[in-house]
Amino acid sequence: MTATKTPGEPPSPAAPAPVTAPGTARGRIRRPFRRNPWRHPWFLEGFTWLYLVWSLAPIVIAVLFSFNNGRSQSSWQGFSWRWYFSDPVNSVLHNPQLHAAVIQTVRLSVLTTVIAVPIGVAFALGINRWRGPVPATFNFVMILSYVIPELIFAVSMFFVFTTLFSTVHLGTLAEVLGLVTWNVSWPAIVVQARLLTIGRQYEEAAADLGANQFQVMRRVMVPLLAPAIFASAVLVFSGVIDDFVIVDLLSSSAGNTPMSVIIYSTQHGGNGGPALNALGSIMLAMSLIIVILGYAGYRFLTRGERGGGLAALTAITGEAP
Amino acid sequence: MVHPREGWQGHGMPRRRFLQGGMGLSALAALGAGGVLTGCASDLTGSGKLPLPRPSNPVTWPVFPGNAAIKSGLEPERDATLQVYIWEAYINQDVVNSFAKKYKCKVQLTTFNTMNEALSKLRSGLTFDVLVGATPDVLGQIVMGQLAQPLNHSYIPNISQAWPDYTDPFYDKGWQYTVPYTIYTTGITWRKDLVHENPYAMRNPWAMPWQSKYRGRVAILDDYREGICLGLMKNGVFDLNTTDYKRIALARQSLQDLSSLVNLRISQTDYSDVPAGQTWISSAWSGDMAAAPSYMPKGVNVDVIGYWFPPNGRGPVNNDTMVVLKGASNPVLAHRFLNYLLDLPVVLNNISWNGYMQPLTGVTPQVLVKEEILPPSLTSTVVVPSTFKTGLFELQLPVDADALWQQAWLVVSNGI
Amino acid sequence: MRGRKNAFWVALAAPGILWLAILFIVPFYAVLSIGLGKLDQLIEAPVAVWNPFDWSSSAVINVWRDIFGSTSFAGPILLRTIVYTAVASLLCLLIGYPAAYFVARFAGRRKGLFLVLLIAPFWISYMMRMLAWIDLLSTGGYVDKALGWVGVSPVNWLGGNPVTVVLGLVYGYIPYLIIVLFAGLDRIDPALLEAGRDLGLGRARTFVHVTLPLSRQPILTGLLITVLPMLGDYYTNQMLSGAASTSMIGNLIQGQLGTPGLESQGAVLSLMLLLVLLAPMIYYVIATNREAAR
Repeated sequence: MTATKTPGEPPSPAAPAPVTAPGTARGRIRRPFRRNPWRHPWFLEGFTWLYLVWSLAPIVIAVLFSFNNGRSQSSWQGFSWRWYFSDPVNSVLHNPQLHAAVIQTVRLSVLTTVIAVPIGVAFALGINRWRGPVPATFNFVMILSYVIPELIFAVSMFFVFTTLFSTVHLGTLAEVLGLVTWNVSWPAIVVQARLLTIGRQYEEAAADLGANQFQVMRRVMVPLLAPAIFASAVLVFSGVIDDFVIVDLLSSSAGNTPMSVIIYSTQHGGNGGPALNALGSIMLAMSLIIVILGYAGYRFLTRGERGGGLAALTAITGEAP
Repeated sequence: MVHPREGWQGHGMPRRRFLQGGMGLSALAALGAGGVLTGCASDLTGSGKLPLPRPSNPVTWPVFPGNAAIKSGLEPERDATLQVYIWEAYINQDVVNSFAKKYKCKVQLTTFNTMNEALSKLRSGLTFDVLVGATPDVLGQIVMGQLAQPLNHSYIPNISQAWPDYTDPFYDKGWQYTVPYTIYTTGITWRKDLVHENPYAMRNPWAMPWQSKYRGRVAILDDYREGICLGLMKNGVFDLNTTDYKRIALARQSLQDLSSLVNLRISQTDYSDVPAGQTWISSAWSGDMAAAPSYMPKGVNVDVIGYWFPPNGRGPVNNDTMVVLKGASNPVLAHRFLNYLLDLPVVLNNISWNGYMQPLTGVTPQVLVKEEILPPSLTSTVVVPSTFKTGLFELQLPVDADALWQQAWLVVSNGI
Repeated sequence: MRGRKNAFWVALAAPGILWLAILFIVPFYAVLSIGLGKLDQLIEAPVAVWNPFDWSSSAVINVWRDIFGSTSFAGPILLRTIVYTAVASLLCLLIGYPAAYFVARFAGRRKGLFLVLLIAPFWISYMMRMLAWIDLLSTGGYVDKALGWVGVSPVNWLGGNPVTVVLGLVYGYIPYLIIVLFAGLDRIDPALLEAGRDLGLGRARTFVHVTLPLSRQPILTGLLITVLPMLGDYYTNQMLSGAASTSMIGNLIQGQLGTPGLESQGAVLSLMLLLVLLAPMIYYVIATNREAAR
């Protein structure tokens, strides 16, 4: 890394540089630059914002309608908190089915993330170095678990938990087991992809300096992999909150039915209403809070090991050291 | 499956393949009609045939030893949580809360999306107290599979408020296992302001969707029974439980023609698509259209929605039922729950939220309009007692005939 | 490979391997047993046959006939699925790559903000987003209104329109592609780009000769994560169209699995779909193994 630049950042991000480009100052080749090649890419930025608007507009609308005064999800009838807590029968707070769903979603997503991410990360690390037919086969199986259509997987899980492993009958345990199996491929694939581009030099340097394997793992590899681990945790977490198929088949009562099932099934059965939008907005808010907490936690835990806010930000999102 | 709340996993697919125009018919003829065909069938195991209730062939279900009704005169359970297994969004929470208050108990609603899912889970050992929403076509599986227990009538005096037919319906003579929940018809809904034809004035109103000028604006219900029945009725066949492969093939062909004529949409969202103006003609369930007032966009009056059902009552009708499940831990409360949902004020409260009407003698079009539950323009969605006798029920088919229907629907809904 | 070193890696991979063996391979075998098993007549439910010698091929025959037989009808569905997925994936790449590239390289201080905005779609139910789109696209909705301002006549977006289905697929899967691309592009060393410039490459040529080759692995992973599940997708078509003329193979499988008596055919069709996906999966594993060995 060159000392004068922060990673991923061209020399002059926002201010247009003088016409004689750095190339001419440093290099020997003269080319007729018409414009500064390090100028800010306004077109790209505009394009990105356009994409974001397209991507987020429906979300904004969905959140907006959760505050609708009437029962419609498409025509605005005034602002109200009724679907969150003021309606005594149908609000999320008062309807036992709805608020049990919120609790179950939190339970499932936290449990699944906490179990799947370590297993997946360890798997990726192990598979990367252990050569042989067994790891290769299981790497393939891991990808198979990603690619299989979810419905057939859910049906087979239902089958297995009701006939084969029937001590685990339907319920929260079955749901967690099914969800972890379904989502463990996220950390495995994403971390593996990242491992491929890190290379061995950091490990070897640490080993040369006398670190044993555990120390290398803890102090070199895991921090290097932090962004990938974080990304895969986000993917697992969001995969669970939105999962409908597996949980629907493996649930046994209203007490273990999460928000996703209610949203999907109510909308198709009719009489959905803005209460669903309220559930969706709660999902959004919860996830946002957890990510912010996670980021703050990361910053807190690594506070002695980096400098500057910018570096921390790019560390969690980009290259580590 | 025929239930309106059946999720989008409800469409049928074939087990056997022998219906594709002329070639298939001759192949079938060569193999001989009826019976189990080997070679192209799934390998079948198990034995036993389920009795198939029909209006002309009523069924009295057996009562199994070891699965007798509870004794009379018991008190409702205390500090109990009544477990109700029901379709999603199918009962007014207010009704549930008032029952809980009256009997000093809690009520937990667990929901399902498809009848198949519900039956699989019940067979796998999940227990609840009450199952709400089983249509007569699955009663065979429920009763013969011993998933339900016989009722003790002394706990359900409100049956007198229901239509008299329900004390001895053909699908459960002597109402041993069931009480009715909702009743509904299947008809045609259309936008009076966007469509020029009036089905009441047409010679063959069931053919109303078959008009190419409404391309992209026509929908039918995503249900293999309802779909093929539409094809049958359009061709003048009113035996909705037919096992005649020629008729089924004719229905299938008509539907394929419809599909290419109007780029047919197959969905269950008629209740919101028609008010929104996305769809102009659709086959629909009466309860869905009765709820249309809640889905009208601003500025559009509910009068533009029409619902047609044959005035002589010869159209598809169905009702679903409530049963008490065999492993119920609160059987007395369960019986009381069934009784509660046969009481007129409770029922009116339920209908006002649910849309689907219930077959009580006190529920008439006049009452519904007076209570402002239904707009006057949609009184055709109300089912009248005579329809129970004149209407055409879509009932359980023998296994091989079911395959014909499902295969025909498969081609219609996926093949082009 | 030293023995002790090997054991460490084995120990790391072991929990994952055990988990997959018990909770994936066993259910997978259950899928085979259902697909190649029998049907209970009374309750129209599938009966799993565990002994491979007792497996019955009737479901396979039925499905085969559906696709390839003389009375087949499923051919167009497969073709359509491949075409829609190919077009949607291409669009995902064309839209997602520039956005990921921008955020990875030029976002600077605002990178965190952009990341949050990029990840936000993951946190609200997919169904909610689709419903919002259905509302926008329905007749008289805002999209038609906006088109009206520019003088374009309204389009019946939801009446069985393949364009809507493809755009719906793009919309649903693009966040995954962007995140994976972002994670990959972020690691491209700017020093390499400078070197390109030093050597006289203009912006475009730097991109083609430096950035694009370095993006190969992220693009590959991104496509794996996007394309393969897209092939099995069914609710996009169901929600945005509902017409038989736009149905995909996922609709077929899903219908079979939901119908009593046809689950075994659904199982077989899913397995066939997996067989088709085998080739790209193997290619991915080989490509990543090659990278790891380097």
